[in-house]
Amino acid sequence: MAAKKPLFNRQMRRISELDANIQAGLAREEAERAKQAEAEIETVDYTPEQIAALDPALFEPAGFNEEDAERTGYSNYSYWASTFKNFWRNKVARVLIIALIAVLLFAFLQPFFPGQHDPVTINNDPETGIQLMNLAPSSEYWFGTNAIGQDLWARVWAGTRVSVFIGLVVALSDLVVGVIIGMIWGYVRKVDKVMTEIYNVISNVPQTLILILVSYILRPSITTIIISMCMVGWMAMARFIRNQVVIFRDRDFNLASRCLGTSTFRIITKNLLPQMVSVIMLQTALAIPGAIGDEVFLTYIGLGLPTSQASLGNLVEAGRVLMMQKELRYQLIFPAAVVAFITIAFYIIGNAFSDAADPKNHV
Amino acid sequence: MLEYIAKRTLGAVVSLFIVITLIFLLLRMMPMEGYFGAEYDKLSEETRASMLAEKGLDKPVLTQLVEFYKNLLKGDLGKSWIYRPNYPIAKILEKKIPYSLKIGLISMAVSLLVGIPLGAMMARFKGKLGDKIGTAFIAIVEALPTAVLMLFVQLYFSSWFNLSLLFDKDNPSTWILPILSISLLSICTYAMWMRRYMIDNINMDYVKLARAKGVRGGRIMFLHVFKNAFVPMAQFLPGSVLSTIIGSIYVEHLYSIPGTGGLLIDVIQRQDNTMVQTLVLLYAAIGIIGMFLGDLLMALLDPRISFVKKGDDR
Amino acid sequence: MENREIILSVKNLNVRFSLRGKSLHAIRGVSLDVFKGESLAIVGESGSGKSVLTKNFIGLLDKNGRIDSGEILYAGMDLAKFTTEKEWAKIRGKKIAMVMQDPMTSLNPLKTIGWQISEALILNRGMKRAEAKAAAIDILRDVGINEPQRRYRQYPHEFSGGMRQRVVIAIAVACGPEILICDEPTTALDVTIQSQILGLIKTLCRKYEMTTIYITHDLGVVANVADRIAVMYAGDIVEIGTADEVFFNPQHPYTWALLSSLPQLGEKGKELYSIKGTPPKLFGVIKGDAFAPRNPQALKIDYLVRPPYFEVSPTHKARTWLLDPRAPKIEPPEIIKRLHDLEQEGKAGEADE
Repeated sequence: MAAKKPLFNRQMRRISELDANIQAGLAREEAERAKQAEAEIETVDYTPEQIAALDPALFEPAGFNEEDAERTGYSNYSYWASTFKNFWRNKVARVLIIALIAVLLFAFLQPFFPGQHDPVTINNDPETGIQLMNLAPSSEYWFGTNAIGQDLWARVWAGTRVSVFIGLVVALSDLVVGVIIGMIWGYVRKVDKVMTEIYNVISNVPQTLILILVSYILRPSITTIIISMCMVGWMAMARFIRNQVVIFRDRDFNLASRCLGTSTFRIITKNLLPQMVSVIMLQTALAIPGAIGDEVFLTYIGLGLPTSQASLGNLVEAGRVLMMQKELRYQLIFPAAVVAFITIAFYIIGNAFSDAADPKNHV
Repeated sequence: MLEYIAKRTLGAVVSLFIVITLIFLLLRMMPMEGYFGAEYDKLSEETRASMLAEKGLDKPVLTQLVEFYKNLLKGDLGKSWIYRPNYPIAKILEKKIPYSLKIGLISMAVSLLVGIPLGAMMARFKGKLGDKIGTAFIAIVEALPTAVLMLFVQLYFSSWFNLSLLFDKDNPSTWILPILSISLLSICTYAMWMRRYMIDNINMDYVKLARAKGVRGGRIMFLHVFKNAFVPMAQFLPGSVLSTIIGSIYVEHLYSIPGTGGLLIDVIQRQDNTMVQTLVLLYAAIGIIGMFLGDLLMALLDPRISFVKKGDDR
Repeated sequence: MENREIILSVKNLNVRFSLRGKSLHAIRGVSLDVFKGESLAIVGESGSGKSVLTKNFIGLLDKNGRIDSGEILYAGMDLAKFTTEKEWAKIRGKKIAMVMQDPMTSLNPLKTIGWQISEALILNRGMKRAEAKAAAIDILRDVGINEPQRRYRQYPHEFSGGMRQRVVIAIAVACGPEILICDEPTTALDVTIQSQILGLIKTLCRKYEMTTIYITHDLGVVANVADRIAVMYAGDIVEIGTADEVFFNPQHPYTWALLSSLPQLGEKGKELYSIKGTPPKLFGVIKGDAFAPRNPQALKIDYLVRPPYFEVSPTHKARTWLLDPRAPKIEPPEIIKRLHDLEQEGKAGEADE
């Protein structure tokens, strides 16, 4: 009987908690309803009786506070705060950016984890000395091994490192070269005329073809691939920056800022930058998967990195050859999955950020 | 209007000329092996020199350039030295071009016929499930490297629909996957932009006025919104031409189609300089023509264009 | 004042917008009668609700807005209850037409203006194509566009701002409506063109016997064209009366403030008058008179209870506690008396011509 008492007490406590919650909830609803009713009442005029019943003392002047009048118009809008808040609200982008950072971090830290194989070593069976070729994924080799016995797991991450590195360098170079050229192009009117003509001619030629040509001439290595990709990519960014600068020069709100005495620095950071940054970020974010895609393309054509060097392009191409054999298909799927994830993640994040940064969406 | 067309034509021709010359000059820097093939190492200096002279490659660059143009106008594209030794390139291309052309044109038509209505539908049902699925689909296609995309298409579609991977020009079912793969990227471009333009237009003042004067929903969507959104689609035509070209390079290789795309991969791997040069020139020319057609179409469809100079942002 | 026929009647209308989860009370219990054949002007600041009010007459309320309660009675129907496009098709154009603010964007850039006018005629007056073309050319002439045959085939970008607005007016008139709503018709135009357009609207309305509702923030426009004026503030009509009554005998402090702001009343060398503060945000519940915080003459009760309408004359009423017998007698600002002087000067000037 003694044991039942504590149980009983606990249950009673729980019931009274519940009851309290219910009461609180009901009270809240009641308050809401009252507020609504009050709002309704606000739009219904007083009857003549109610009017007559009003206290004459209420008809005295209330005194006027100028500060109170001005207070109704305060706005605490901050562009960047709004942008990040918008971005964070996008669930998909939120998940993806965390996942992407995790994956990239892992790719670069992977060699330091315990028990990792070297991507280049050809693994031989310790007993027979034969190369461990084309092994399916196992506990020893998480992604299996490739046709000459190299650990695919290590190769995939090594390849990711190389391809992402290439992508970052190319994106950065596009950014820097593009912005600098674009700015000069936009500001200096003489340059504008010349550059526009050059641009019109060059933009007619598909960038990919130039890529093929340049890669064909320079023999493949990481450096040459980066160089050939850098040669084409800056165009789009430069053109865009130039347009922005030209429009910026003539925009009324900049004239207004100058009339108000705003310093040039402030005009650039507060007027020009927010508009440009969002699209710069978009272009840069898209440049990375673009570079990875180009690398895969070049490898496919035969102008990619030497096959000894692990890169996502090489891995995908090596896997492609074996695609039709079901047991060996994993050699394509793993690198392809990594490529797919990275490119899709960058694309979605880039677009989400650009949407978030658009002042039209800042309500 | 005519003035505009004339100006654009001149611009296209000039671009073509400049590009051809530049590529030609650029290719003079190509590695020498590309003219000799496997025996390069075994040949002596003199033999190499005489072979170069034979092919006219020892003359000063400008002379080579002039000769090149002369031959070009005659229809002589030079000879291949490695792929088919001493064989006129024009003859090689003759056989390959029809395949690529047919598949390319069909793909472009398919991408228009599928992409634009898709975009319109997505705009119509903005925010609903169909739109969300469509947007996700487009994101995936645009984000993935084309090579990977093509591989996935080949891998999964062929097994799901039991389609053969070997192209046979007489068997229509083998045409499906190649055309689908090539048109996929363009479909997504058209759909995405059509959707965006339609949504932009739906919110415009002139639509409000049209509604205010009594125009009903369906008529507004079609006559006003759709038509207005459709006009700027012409600017994506050149891009579509390019993706078709690039796509065909992959697809012809993947499905063993005897066209110019597969040829390009082949000759790059074999390092046949003259063939590489000719094919690149060919594609560049197609690209420029594509741009020109796009501009032309825009001018025809949009009455404002002849009056506004291009590049003038006011 | 004879008993005039009421063509449209708004009764206690409440309109809300949902904005990012919050509810914005844009129209707060508005009642308004529109008389047949009159020219009514609705005046107010941006955000006062004047556009929103009239959008309900043709069902062009933004998607996130809805009518909470109230009625809009017209031709035996309650427009507030309309939900389908089919119902609105009976009204839009044929009965009630609208001229919008910005002629640059109101016209479809890719269709000839002739086509756009004909579309209105074909849809609303059931004409056939050829008949519509002829009628459109006539209307173009009516609105003052020269060479109507040639202009019929031209595109909007080939017209200047003022001409484009004439085209928009032509489209509205082509529908053959009973009521014409002009939403800030001259705001986007040069001052010199403004009076032309206003004159045009006036002529057309007389010719086609249309009732006109002007929405504007420009009192100059109002003085020119209006028979009656309704002053709106924060989603409510605070004063309504004939043009003479509102200009020369205003009763609501907001009307005083508006009139005082007229630059024409400013004295050379002195600072121009401007109303302190900004209109209230309409998200929450507004207690009392919405204008109270900005009103130097506010009474204590202005902060507690919304004033009802007090009649000044059978045609003139205002929502202000100052008209209650218990309230202190407050004179309108000095500056407004100058309106009388200006009017006298104007009349004298006309007599001289």
